[in-house]
Amino acid sequence: MYEFQLIQSTGFRNHGPEGARDGVEVRLRLPNYRGMRLSLLDGIDVTLDGEFFSHEVTSLILGGTVYDLAAMRDATTVRWAMGEHASVLVPKPGGLLPGIHHVKVAALVRSPYFPPHLQPLPVHGERLATIVLP
Amino acid sequence: MEDRFKYGVSLYSFTEDFGSVMSIEEGFDHIADTGATGIEILGETHVTGYPTPDKAWLDRWFGLLDRTGLEPTNMCSWVDTKLRLGQSLSVDEGAAELVRDLTLAHQLGFKFLRPKFGVISADLVPDPIWAPAVERVLDLAHKLDIVICPEIHSPTPINHPVVHGYIDFIERTGTKNFALLIDTGIFQDRPLKSWVHEVPEGDSDHAKLINGMKVNPEELVGIAPYIAFIQAKFHHIDDNLHDENIPWEKVIPVLKRIGYTGYLSSEYEGVREPWVAIDQVRRQHVLLRRLEAACDAVPA
Repeated sequence: MYEFQLIQSTGFRNHGPEGARDGVEVRLRLPNYRGMRLSLLDGIDVTLDGEFFSHEVTSLILGGTVYDLAAMRDATTVRWAMGEHASVLVPKPGGLLPGIHHVKVAALVRSPYFPPHLQPLPVHGERLATIVLP
Repeated sequence: MEDRFKYGVSLYSFTEDFGSVMSIEEGFDHIADTGATGIEILGETHVTGYPTPDKAWLDRWFGLLDRTGLEPTNMCSWVDTKLRLGQSLSVDEGAAELVRDLTLAHQLGFKFLRPKFGVISADLVPDPIWAPAVERVLDLAHKLDIVICPEIHSPTPINHPVVHGYIDFIERTGTKNFALLIDTGIFQDRPLKSWVHEVPEGDSDHAKLINGMKVNPEELVGIAPYIAFIQAKFHHIDDNLHDENIPWEKVIPVLKRIGYTGYLSSEYEGVREPWVAIDQVRRQHVLLRRLEAACDAVPA
């Protein structure tokens, strides 16, 4: 089961080898009320303690595979299913210090049945979340 | 009674609960306890392993139907015409999406399939592949005994070229496997008080979605023969059992008058919080059943 909030508490962690962290993982629930093919997601913007990372530089880890924006747009047969977690990988050398951080995300979701000028629409999440390990 | 409505609930009502504080088992139980006889689902949301659930999930599904006595009504699906940036789906690809969902809907025991096609304009004109794609799968729908129902949903009113196009299609093909699904959100005549829709402030449709389309329920009379299913969309029913947005006291008598005996499938779409929808759906069922009983008590 998901935590209710878009940004999950569990899974918020540093990425890469201990002592040589190269990024931060922000775990999300599906940013939609229906499962969707990954090509309908146009990337995810992330802000960590006020530092902005565009959807053009973040990537998504889904089912053990890492998708950058171009790979996401090509992923017409990969499904992000309801109930499945995925993590946004934010390129931040050194990662974050253990402690409480302010995290904001905007997942850019294309819903083909919405008017063309509303595609994609950002699905927002914002909260305080805790990094446990350096 | 033959001439009564059938009452159902869409699991979509529990969108804010499902997956975090509610499992599918609990969803079934909440629906069955309203006295409803039908369950509506969204394929991509509620079927684990969509579009090809494994045997364990299928056993669970049929076990739940047996235990609760609920029958599958409508399965909602999508034809994602803009699956790729810059290149829309072809007719072949659109038809393949419909085949995928007709096959799953049939496997799960559904009688109606609502595909939501991608649109090409601000007033939600569907991608023109819809007609040839649907036409290609009409024989399959007939074989599987499923009615494909496009949804008439705010901001598209009843009297609109999109609806006329669907009716022309039914008349031209003579099919019994394509008919209209009415979302009662089109009758909303008072503003939503607490609802954050995906559509941003300032958008041309924002006012319509917040204030309501105010379609006159009498317009149902003109399309009566084409209506197959009703999603009883609502947003808030207060502590006095008064719906703050949908004029049911006008809608229900018209549905009785045109002899509608299909499903009223509750679709709660209110505040985006968990633990609200379960009781809201129960309130709606009391309200709808009371109005139907009042109509039945008056000789036609």
